[in-house]
Amino acid sequence: MGFFEIVRSANHNLFRNKARTLLTILAIFIGSFTIALNSAINSGVNAFIDNQTASLGGEDYIMIMPEGSVDTIGSMMMSSSDEPREYNPGQTLSAMDQDQLDKLKEIDGIDGENLYIAKQIAVEYITSNDTDKKYIISVGAMPPGDFNIATTAGTLPDRDSKEYQITLEPGYPKALGFESDEDAIGKTVELAVLDPATKKPVTFKAKVVGVQAKGVVAVNGSVVNPALETAMYDTITKYYPAEQKNLAYAVQTRFDNEKYTEQEIKDILRENGFYGMTVSDMMGAIRTFFDVIMIVFTIFGGIALLAAAIGIINTLLMSVEERTREIGLDKALGMSSGKIFLNFSVEAISLGFWGSVVGVGLAILAGSIVNFVVHQPGGFLEVFPTFDLFRFTFANMLPIILTVMIIAFIAGTVPAWKAAHKNPIDALRYE
Amino acid sequence: MSKVIEVRNLVKVYGKRATAFEALKGVSLDINSGESVAIVGKSGSGKSTLMHLLALLDKPTSGTIKIDGVDSTKLSNRELNKLRNRTFGFVFQQFFMNPNDTVLENVILPLKIAGIGGKERRHLAEKALETVELSERKRNKATNLSGGQKQRVCIARAIINNPKIIFADEPTGNLDSATGEKVIKLLFDLNKEQGVTLIIVTHDEDLARLCDRQIRIVDGRISEGLEDAPKGEWVDGKWKMKVPAELEKEGN
Repeated sequence: MGFFEIVRSANHNLFRNKARTLLTILAIFIGSFTIALNSAINSGVNAFIDNQTASLGGEDYIMIMPEGSVDTIGSMMMSSSDEPREYNPGQTLSAMDQDQLDKLKEIDGIDGENLYIAKQIAVEYITSNDTDKKYIISVGAMPPGDFNIATTAGTLPDRDSKEYQITLEPGYPKALGFESDEDAIGKTVELAVLDPATKKPVTFKAKVVGVQAKGVVAVNGSVVNPALETAMYDTITKYYPAEQKNLAYAVQTRFDNEKYTEQEIKDILRENGFYGMTVSDMMGAIRTFFDVIMIVFTIFGGIALLAAAIGIINTLLMSVEERTREIGLDKALGMSSGKIFLNFSVEAISLGFWGSVVGVGLAILAGSIVNFVVHQPGGFLEVFPTFDLFRFTFANMLPIILTVMIIAFIAGTVPAWKAAHKNPIDALRYE
Repeated sequence: MSKVIEVRNLVKVYGKRATAFEALKGVSLDINSGESVAIVGKSGSGKSTLMHLLALLDKPTSGTIKIDGVDSTKLSNRELNKLRNRTFGFVFQQFFMNPNDTVLENVILPLKIAGIGGKERRHLAEKALETVELSERKRNKATNLSGGQKQRVCIARAIINNPKIIFADEPTGNLDSATGEKVIKLLFDLNKEQGVTLIIVTHDEDLARLCDRQIRIVDGRISEGLEDAPKGEWVDGKWKMKVPAELEKEGN
């Protein structure tokens, strides 16, 4: 008997008792369906989180603050003692001066060449030639690292360009009188900051190079390139003494994430009196939330599959009993025990195959419907057109089918062994 | 004439120690190629056990069985399976067909097990069905046949691999005399015309007498006499069983 014939006769035998076989397949289906949906949502959410991570600065991004500022915030936020705390020099320090910056530059694993000092820029308003209205806007700079934000049109500003560039937040192109996101690209907008002495607006013309897609993690508003950022900051701080102007409340840079883990680099920073915050710290809560959901549903699916495995054993044991005579005849006519074991194993694997294929198939159908519905007007993902809640790929669905087939095979070994070791005479006498 | 089966001192014990039961107590016999042999005996005499051992469906506790000069006790399971598949044909009292398969599929089974391809085995199955005159029923489900037809399908299944020896275990046991006769005729045609060795296990004396030779099994031994010795007798209007020790004394 060739492989194809074994598979065909296994399926033929399975569907001799349709009700029993279909019920067993249903049990496998429930397990695989749950796990397939779960795996798909995990894949979808992870893709989204990775996307958001990049919008925060990438995996090697780190934000460094003086430890004192964290202590101060900590003591404000979770004051557990009623006692006033004793003073220690440096403890209350909330900004880094040049000495500390120099020290930071020397720390191994920190990209000292590309320290970026986040600047507070209060933009007064934004407007354009296509509207009479002025709008409030918050702008953020481009942190170092693999910083990336999804855009619906255009790109992020050019980091090295001398030209003033901006990538707008969603909603602004319409408000500023442009027809669409695409239409806004290449247009000029006007940003204003206040002269600290005269309180008169000082305006900067910037070219729109892109429009951001919506994300769940708040990015610091519209993104401007370093040239525009520096120009605006210089205006705001033009009366500040130099040392005041260069105070660093938080420094953003990259760390060597191949040499150190996030925890290691944070420990090194702590030893030197700094507090580091990575993208994981910022994304941690979201990831943990989805991880917990994932684990819970995987356990549900696993329990369903375990029950299904017992169902497979039961189904095939009944089948072996029913077919005792047939097995006896096969053996009398010269079929080997190995072949009989193989035949029943293939039946078990077929059960697993059908159950998981139907489970994965219906999961893909259900997931695709949900993906479609949530992106419709009024759906909760309407504003995230790039985010598929369920992501089905060969790489995450095929292992489910294979795993279920392996589980089915293992479950099938019990009845298959029993069938293979039947004595042909006893089997033929069996009534 | 060549010996197709040679049996020496065959002993078969079922169970162990206290519950051990000696079904065959040392049987030796030869069967020639092309011979028809009836194995007769009462139920429980050991005749079925003997047939199972001859057909290599079971292993003897001691003794040897040579098939075509080859000692079966020295064969591996794989070789045993192959020998059964190629050399033997089986006809059982209870038919043992797969009721939901078609007649043709039932007949094909030995060739399917042997791994013979689709076209050839189909051709051979049709030829075998022609021999038993059931060609027109080949697409019917086995369960829809009459008893006589079922047994003829089983004969077709037994001859499809062109066997040397056909074992028939009470082949007419479930048939009325008219259909039984047809089955018997088929079996003896195969024996006479094609020289297939026929071994029939039966307690039907009429059927046994048709064979070239009768081997009578009594209490696990070959009996030269016609009948078993009486196991009891009427004593004072009551049936009294003889204990085995008394039977031994009387030379049985």
